Amino acid sequence: MSEQLRPEDASPSLYDDAGNPRFFADPAMDRFVAVVMNLAQEVWVQEERLIALEEAQQGEASDRPGIDREAKAKEFIERVFAPIREA
Amino acid sequence: MTVELQHPMKPQQTPEDAARGRFVSGIRSLILNDLANDLKSAYDRRAAPAFAKEHGHEPSTSREAHQALRGDPAFNIYSAMRVQAQKMVWASVAEGVERETERLTAEASAVADFAGSLKLDPSLEVPRNVHAIDVHLMPGSYTRGSDSLEAGAVYDRGLAVFSMGLMGANLDDIGLSMSQYVKQRFPDFAPTRILDTGCTVGHNTLPWKQAYPHAEVIAIDAAPGPLAYASARAKMQGQEVDFRQMCADELAFENESFDIVWSSMFLHELSKKQRASCFKEAYRVLRPGGLMVHMELPPNEQMGAFEGFYLDWDSYYNNEPYYKGYRDEIPRDLCTRAGFAEEDFFEFVVPSVGIYGEQAVTDAAKGDRAEGVSQQTTGRLAEGVMWYGFGASKK
Repeated sequence: MSEQLRPEDASPSLYDDAGNPRFFADPAMDRFVAVVMNLAQEVWVQEERLIALEEAQQGEASDRPGIDREAKAKEFIERVFAPIREA
Repeated sequence: MTVELQHPMKPQQTPEDAARGRFVSGIRSLILNDLANDLKSAYDRRAAPAFAKEHGHEPSTSREAHQALRGDPAFNIYSAMRVQAQKMVWASVAEGVERETERLTAEASAVADFAGSLKLDPSLEVPRNVHAIDVHLMPGSYTRGSDSLEAGAVYDRGLAVFSMGLMGANLDDIGLSMSQYVKQRFPDFAPTRILDTGCTVGHNTLPWKQAYPHAEVIAIDAAPGPLAYASARAKMQGQEVDFRQMCADELAFENESFDIVWSSMFLHELSKKQRASCFKEAYRVLRPGGLMVHMELPPNEQMGAFEGFYLDWDSYYNNEPYYKGYRDEIPRDLCTRAGFAEEDFFEFVVPSVGIYGEQAVTDAAKGDRAEGVSQQTTGRLAEGVMWYGFGASKK
């Protein structure tokens, strides 16, 4: 349903023939970036499931504080995407 | 971080939903803070000098900064990742909204009799820029699910992921910061009727009711679904607001019937023509002594080429076709063309109350008015954000 409405000075070369933004010389790279991000998200979802399982295993009797998922997510993202910081 | 919404329509997340949302907020934080810094450094080091070599001068406008950056590796990776992260924002909440359709309806029904009202106008022709494009890559845009709660729920939940905590727990930091600013800058001003134009889910409407509890607050939007959601959301939070489906460029209100006409992040969604009509309508419905206040992105004229393009990026790559056209306009001219006197124009930068605290807002209200428009944190959703606002009083 989405129409393409662009700013007046937007050159058609900014987009592929389906209207998606394109950035890399090889359009496949635009897709691969998205795949890598999706994949990282799926790995993170599994990681949280594992954390939840481990916490459940330790049981409610455990007096260890819950794992800080925000902090762990930040470390995870920084680790996985470290190479792009060199662009 | 993803914020937890402060009302009963908040998602009943599965651990998987929570993990997806957390990842998206986290990756957006990496992109909008770290990769944004890398982009600036690549611009200074590589893109701007290369542009200067070819053109004989450094990029001097947002457009030239865009030209300079196209093809730069740091620009490519920043941009491709931002586009995908934006899609992931909406995807991370869509399933939950679908799963909870019935519960949302039940929650809204439970507060139906609370103070406040909702009036939809089925005969209103929803403008093309509201329904025909997926605004900020939000599938189905603001009219997704017609007048059901779906679009509002997707927007509210999406914003909770999108904002990375920078818009406050109730997604109202803009409204809170701005209403407190206005209250302190104009301490003798006592509005009795306030209009919010383009309110979406009313997240930045409610702070005005909190700032001026005795005022009648009316909020309008062109899209019916978000309004229905906004009305339920306001009732759940005990705020009496009247929500009406209406376009801001054609107000069904009498002349001189409001003390404040407000909007937040709205003007950039309009065509130039619609925007001009909105300002005329605001002028018409304001009482003498009334205030028009808009929170928006800061204008290009007051920003450097890179900083200007950094905000204009959305216009080209985030389905915000009018963003750049809006940012190229001059706020003062928008006001004076609608009838406001040149000397009654004002613009200001308010530190986010959630980040900097109430004292900082007070200091801004009493201090230098437009200080900081060109600062990197102004108008940019990243660590340390400050909000830009402008408006005019009517004689």
